[in-house]
Amino acid sequence: MRNFKLLAITLLLFLGSCKRETHVTFGVEEANLYEDKALKTKSKNEAVYISVLYTNLYQTPISPSQLYKTQAVIYSIGDRNVANEMVLSNYFNTQGLTIPSNAEMRSDIESFVIETYKRFFLRYPSEGEKTWMIQYITRNSQLSVEMIYTGFAASDEYQYY
Amino acid sequence: MRRRDFITKSAALAGAGFLAPTLLKTGTAFARGGNAKAEHVVLLMFAGGVRQQESVLQRYLEDSQGVAGAAGNIMPNLFNGAAPDRKIVYGTSLPGLPPGSEPIPRLLSNTIENSGMLFREVQAQSAGHYVGLNTLLTGNAGTAQGLKTRPRYPTIFEYLRRHAGFKASECWMVANGIGNSMPLLNSSDNADYGLQYGANMFAPPITFGSYGREILANGKSYSQQDLEPMYDIKRFLDQSFSLGQEQYNTVRNTEEERTWIKEFIRNVFVKQSAGQIAMPPVGSGDGYNIAYAAEIMREFKPRMLAVNIGGVDSCHSNFTSYLSALHRADHAAGWLWQYIQNNIPDIKDNTIFIIAPECGRNLNPNPILDQNDWYAFDHSDANARRVWSLMVGSNVPQLSVGSESNPVGRLTDIVPTIADIFGIYDEVMASGYIDPLAKSMFQRV
Repeated sequence: MRNFKLLAITLLLFLGSCKRETHVTFGVEEANLYEDKALKTKSKNEAVYISVLYTNLYQTPISPSQLYKTQAVIYSIGDRNVANEMVLSNYFNTQGLTIPSNAEMRSDIESFVIETYKRFFLRYPSEGEKTWMIQYITRNSQLSVEMIYTGFAASDEYQYY
Repeated sequence: MRRRDFITKSAALAGAGFLAPTLLKTGTAFARGGNAKAEHVVLLMFAGGVRQQESVLQRYLEDSQGVAGAAGNIMPNLFNGAAPDRKIVYGTSLPGLPPGSEPIPRLLSNTIENSGMLFREVQAQSAGHYVGLNTLLTGNAGTAQGLKTRPRYPTIFEYLRRHAGFKASECWMVANGIGNSMPLLNSSDNADYGLQYGANMFAPPITFGSYGREILANGKSYSQQDLEPMYDIKRFLDQSFSLGQEQYNTVRNTEEERTWIKEFIRNVFVKQSAGQIAMPPVGSGDGYNIAYAAEIMREFKPRMLAVNIGGVDSCHSNFTSYLSALHRADHAAGWLWQYIQNNIPDIKDNTIFIIAPECGRNLNPNPILDQNDWYAFDHSDANARRVWSLMVGSNVPQLSVGSESNPVGRLTDIVPTIADIFGIYDEVMASGYIDPLAKSMFQRV
């Protein structure tokens, strides 16, 4: 009898502690966030530019010693565009780049353009930008991914965040 | 003064003050035109702190270390005068002879002093390196200049690009490293001038040293046909991201100039590999920098090139090393002038070569002794504000100006002098950024 009472009390305690789970929602909808070029007002310093560029092209972080040397070299040249273009041409002469092939670009130019804008500028192209870029690539059969990536990496927008 | 007169005059002055910046911005309001004295200027910033006593005064060890009878000239390419005949330590080392006992033979058949204008006693505006370099390039005493910031006042490059219309590829700064704010000297951050008028710049020990070779030398050489679409794309992208002047983070060349500079860098590495970079016969860090300045001279034939050296700064801790560096800096300076005369015929007769230290060194030594038991010298006292300047070349008379007891000129004179050479003296002096006591060295005499 005593055991029965204890069991009943225990069951009552457990039952009393149970509550229906309530699902709270705040009306937030999922969205992809991208940068706005109008908000890119700060210049990337040499270290940031090189880190971002290297990771972009090789899909792996740059080593500290490589970063230090590259930063020093860029700093030693008065026109940063000259330095950046030289560094880029050096990268494109190495193995291990993770970039689409020219055939992949040609098979779906629109997707390539959108992905390139997202990859370099962290934003979608405007309709005007997309149209110009698609037409330019279509018209120029000799244009390679390397050339397009060089244009993007050397652009002013890529040097600001 | 009556109230009405006061108001009238105040209004006139306020109006003038309001209009002056606008007029100056055009760069023409005060232009009187002028005849250029030369088409090219090379400014050798003979920096690192050169003590007056061992350079132009030729006292060698007699003054600095109290060694009687050990006076003499250890800068035979720049100055007239016989070399010391005792305790020679600044030359090259030959087997079986004491270290440094063989002076480097003079390169120039005639000293710079004999061929041009020497200001024997010039007042430096600072006893420090960076402010001194700023003074040489801005014509301003730069008392409020901070480290790790661009010059506060416009550099000669900016004056020349804005008022004389020089292109970026016509103005070059060759720094001897990237430390101590050195790479910032190619342009000020002045709101009226700034990076849009800045000069191109290399720091050869980095750009063309081991780092540069590793990072740049393997670059692809694109044909013009390949480059065109890259520039097209960049141009298109830049059009939709226009920058204000205040957002510029670099000097800007045209596409053609950029292609030229990149080709030059690639060629330098090719020449390096083939051992074809011309160098002063006796090597030194300063000589290395000057050799690359000569490469730039040969390729771009710049209207204005400033090159910085600084080996003599070893004087803080080693006087023997300082003497050696001073002797080699003289050798490298002579070599550069000789190189221009012998190897760049297009400019040899229309170039002016200016040489000046950025500051001097102390009268009294610090307690650090070197291997010869000689004391070292820092730079902080009045003696460190005593320097000299030299000028040689097209339309430069042969003159010796001033003396130890009769100082003539200031280091801030260098910028007005260059402005005078290129015929933009009035515009530069009217900019409001030049030391009010400065004037062209041509006018000093």
